[in-house]
Amino acid sequence: MHITGHLVASGPGFVPPSTSDFNLPSIVGHSAYTTKPVVAVFFSIILISVFFILASRKAAVVPGKLQFAGESIYGFVRKDLAQEIIGSGFLAYVPFLFTLFVFVLVNNLFGIIPFIQFPTMSHVSFPYVLAIFTFVIFHAIGIKKQGVVKYLKGIAFLPGVPKFAYILLTPIEIATYFLIRPVTLSLRLFANMFAGHLLLLVFIGGGDYMLHDTHLFMKILSPFSFGFGIVMTFFEFMVQCLQAYIITLLSALFIAGALVDEH
Amino acid sequence: MASNNEEGALWSIMGYLISGLLIWGGIGFGLDHWLHTHHYFFLGGLLLGAGASIYLVWLRFGRQ
Repeated sequence: MHITGHLVASGPGFVPPSTSDFNLPSIVGHSAYTTKPVVAVFFSIILISVFFILASRKAAVVPGKLQFAGESIYGFVRKDLAQEIIGSGFLAYVPFLFTLFVFVLVNNLFGIIPFIQFPTMSHVSFPYVLAIFTFVIFHAIGIKKQGVVKYLKGIAFLPGVPKFAYILLTPIEIATYFLIRPVTLSLRLFANMFAGHLLLLVFIGGGDYMLHDTHLFMKILSPFSFGFGIVMTFFEFMVQCLQAYIITLLSALFIAGALVDEH
Repeated sequence: MASNNEEGALWSIMGYLISGLLIWGGIGFGLDHWLHTHHYFFLGGLLLGAGASIYLVWLRFGRQ
């Protein structure tokens, strides 16, 4: 709704979607705390809570549809991610991984859910916060398990390497663990959601522009743009699920890495 | 199990390659800036970083 108004109002010539299309106005008043992404995040929390409370409230041995759906998601994170990657003692980290997965998944899917249609994670601050959580948690686990000195030594000094190689390798190891890991974790999610939303804006906004064009030729061609918008929506669905999976997978891997004594 | 761990190794390898280029390329860039040389240290740093991170990847994932 926002994008169509913006494009039609901007007069002759197609105005391609830009970063300004991500700065949505406040829904209530002019506060920065009531913009669409912030409201979407709160809505996602309510949605997730209600869903899983309903799914687990009347837990039966023979599950109903809702319980089955809830348990499938939980089982996927628990078995396929936590248990397989972390191994023994994985149960302690299931709550974090499960919360992370569901939170990111729902907020990503907001990108294609009608009337919301905005992936929260396309605002980089949200993935940053998630990456900070993972960062603090996996380092805390490593320090708790191995002690500060042993943990940091394990990161910085790989055993079985000639002494002079440490000059080359230690800066890389430290940068990987303390800078690259959290940054790539958040930027990967952000960039995928940002680019995906932009792609949908291009095809659907473009189709809208062509439909309102004075030339009949453009009107006839506009369904192709809309059609590609629909194809891209399905593609986005795939990317949204995949990115939720990847951020959880990497968080599990980092935790597993912190638990292992020898690198 | 193997597929998940392989996928994990893939992402870790990418991280090492990026940070190798970033750190040693960055040090080279800084040296160029400081000594007013024309990108020699930057180029050298990038090559050194690429080499070192590939060596590190081999140490971490290729030794077993």
